[in-house]
Amino acid sequence: MSHVEPGTAEPLVGTRPASSPAAVPAPSARAVVAPAHDRETAFFTLDHGTATLAGALVGRVDRRWRLLAATALPAGSNPDTLLGLLVDRLRSADPARAEAIGSRAEPLAAWPRLVATSVPAATLAVIAATERTRARLEEAAVGAGWNVVAGSAERTDPLALTRLATRPGVVALLVGVADPPDADERDLAAELAVAAAGIAARRPGMRVFLAGPVPDAPLLDAWRAPVIVRLPAPAGAPGELAASTLRAALAAARGGPDDSRCALAAAAGSLARVLGLRVEILEIGVSGAARVVASPGPADDGGIAASVQIVEVPDAALFRMDRPGSVDRIDYWFTQGLDRARLRDRLAELAIAPWSDLDADGALLRGAALRGAVERLLAATDPVLGHGGVDLVIGAGGAWSAVPAPAAAHIVADVVRRPGAVQVAIDHARLLGPIGTIADDAGRDALVAGLGEDLLLPLGTIVTPRGLRPNRPAGRLVLETRGARSEVELVAGGFTLVDLPPGASGTAELAFRGTPELGPRGRRFKIAVSGGLAGLLLDLRDIPLRLPERPDRRRELLGTWERALWPERDA
Amino acid sequence: MTGSLELVPARALLVPRPRIRLELQPGDRVTAVVGEAVHVGEVVAERIRDPRLVEAVVPRDGADQGIPLPGTWVPAEHALAGRHAGAPAGELLFEHGGRRRLVSGPHPDRLHAPADGRVVEVEPGVALVMEIDGPGLVATELLGEPHWGRLVLLPEESDPRLALDVALAGAVVVLPGRVDAEALARARAMGIRGAVVASLAERDRRDLAASAARQQAGLHRLAPFGVLVLGGYLRRAFASAVRSTLDAASGAVVGLVGDPPLLLLPADRQLPLPELDQIVVHGGPEAGREGRWLGPGGIRRVRGGITAETGLVALDDGRTVAIPIGELERFAVLVANG
Repeated sequence: MSHVEPGTAEPLVGTRPASSPAAVPAPSARAVVAPAHDRETAFFTLDHGTATLAGALVGRVDRRWRLLAATALPAGSNPDTLLGLLVDRLRSADPARAEAIGSRAEPLAAWPRLVATSVPAATLAVIAATERTRARLEEAAVGAGWNVVAGSAERTDPLALTRLATRPGVVALLVGVADPPDADERDLAAELAVAAAGIAARRPGMRVFLAGPVPDAPLLDAWRAPVIVRLPAPAGAPGELAASTLRAALAAARGGPDDSRCALAAAAGSLARVLGLRVEILEIGVSGAARVVASPGPADDGGIAASVQIVEVPDAALFRMDRPGSVDRIDYWFTQGLDRARLRDRLAELAIAPWSDLDADGALLRGAALRGAVERLLAATDPVLGHGGVDLVIGAGGAWSAVPAPAAAHIVADVVRRPGAVQVAIDHARLLGPIGTIADDAGRDALVAGLGEDLLLPLGTIVTPRGLRPNRPAGRLVLETRGARSEVELVAGGFTLVDLPPGASGTAELAFRGTPELGPRGRRFKIAVSGGLAGLLLDLRDIPLRLPERPDRRRELLGTWERALWPERDA
Repeated sequence: MTGSLELVPARALLVPRPRIRLELQPGDRVTAVVGEAVHVGEVVAERIRDPRLVEAVVPRDGADQGIPLPGTWVPAEHALAGRHAGAPAGELLFEHGGRRRLVSGPHPDRLHAPADGRVVEVEPGVALVMEIDGPGLVATELLGEPHWGRLVLLPEESDPRLALDVALAGAVVVLPGRVDAEALARARAMGIRGAVVASLAERDRRDLAASAARQQAGLHRLAPFGVLVLGGYLRRAFASAVRSTLDAASGAVVGLVGDPPLLLLPADRQLPLPELDQIVVHGGPEAGREGRWLGPGGIRRVRGGITAETGLVALDDGRTVAIPIGELERFAVLVANG
């Protein structure tokens, strides 16, 4: 008998004691400085996204941090008005608590704030001597969250390169050669630098990144001195992107100190250290997307360290449709029949007004777009970050809040097709970004631990075996939770939903007729599971998911599954 | 309640004295001078249609004068038998290794100022920046090319296929009803210089872009034509504040520009200001309606199961409804450009 040891999947946040119950959030670079006694009672978080402004009020209750109020509004709303709304709501719901945290004593502007800001992907022009170097530079720039236009002197004439780098929207130029230059790059490096100088002279204030031994003399001679930044040369083979120093330098050059995607990486590291779990964050926004994987490990000082990898994928932005096949994939997942022209119009409208079309099938369309975006994110990052071995998957970004929470679990199950068991949660109050702006690891870890189960909204546990024969009895599930025991017969080919509310945990014993893969391959498995708004999802469908080719049959099947986790869809 | 109004995102209606960018390509020759006041219709640059790269040897008498800056216009040089091969006039891309790379080409087109203003900056081969004297009505996209003309508003329910005739040649027409690529093609064929529409479907945008590309490829081109889209892709009517502004500018010479997308209005017209608490519903079942903001409506679940912050709005038809704030917008009075 092969089995997964109990405890490999632990309950969500809050099972471990806070390392410091008196944790106080350190202010981020943009935090409002406030008197010390106020810092210890409450603070605000603000996540300025491209489409959404999310705010939360966190206060101290019984010597620990609690999420007291949170909401989200379209970007462009006034942040102070939003925070005032949160305080009014707390005063109305719990006047004593509002009084205790000092809501009447100080003006809102004086309360500490943790602020994260999404920086929309700007466009970087990449020019290189050879196609080989261009590909490496382009890969690093895309992984750092830039939109990229690229060309090489090997294939493109200087006029076309100049037009490429001076087109509207390009804010920076990356010129690179290998270090040492390849044989075919040596002659071209000097001419490339001159061409770059020509481009910089036309665009005052343009940032110029030189990667590798590109001579900078022509650039310094340019009439309008550009801002020149030296970066490491492109190095490494495909698959080493996450560790690329060039990628990290380009990412740092793109975002500011409160960049929410960089902050997510820091927050993921804290989660991994505090929970002792391998954490994966799938962040999908309107202007970009990122995948973060954080794994705990022993630190040199005997404590717990975390290794964190982040790859940004601008092409996986929620309503991005300018890549071949992207509309087809949304149409593939959309459970309502809609002609293609109308579908394109609705998606294009959502791209410029992401908060419109909220009700009825607008929510379903968002769900389909989110599936398409996560597919693109995983396809782009799997070669770098791998495709398995995590304990907790977190949906972050406004896209996950635009569908009901159980439906979000269904989206993860549809698209993240990996054999094994994984807990799923969403960053419902958009706390991770602002918390990630805390520079000090210890302070951030303490706040993550202190917030406990308020930090994330648990959706449940998804168990996905691979290798079952469809539409046949697959075996039996025995779920034990705090003395209660339930048995469920399993049939391969669909979902089996078991009610397991948030906060509940238990042990699932799975006895299969065959020998499916669930991490290891075997007949009997014992898994620790935790509850959530979707409960325990036994996803007994194929890996990869096979759906009917005929659109009407596919929609019907997808709709059946969708209805099980999203009963309000037909309301 | 006026404080809570700021929960609703504000959209700029008018931009005072906007700075606009007229796109250039390497090889285009700017004829206007920085600081110069220009009037609508004046030529500010010459654009070459088919730029090509020309390599020329640096002339001997130029070698000791230093390297000219990229973007400099280099006059033509005659060939000298046995000494110099000559070179056409063109813009210097860069000079390297004793050779100049010039961008040159035949058949220059003229680029006109789309409104009265002042040239404030020239980025050679990239853009010419103008500060416009009058305000700009904010749009979302310009399809086609910047242009100008007399503003003519077609009646609300008119069929553009019947209303667009040759009497409107030289005008910029506002098309309030349903607009498709056929109507826009007809407008262009009638000599109309541009159109202002509330929204345009993706398919019609692509048809228009393909038509414009064919025009670009032709040797004998039609006059430039631009379509300014004030909204998005789904059919919507003009908001009342926009309609009032267009009414006030009717008959005046206006310009269409794409960077940023604006309808450039005359400086001497008195334009109505939007009311502060006027709310426009741009999504959901009440899309297109307008009303007054009453205050926050709390978090509510909408059809389909999503929960969202709502606002209470007294619609102009007399009903008071709670609408997700994400489906509301209001107009800011004036927002500085940039």
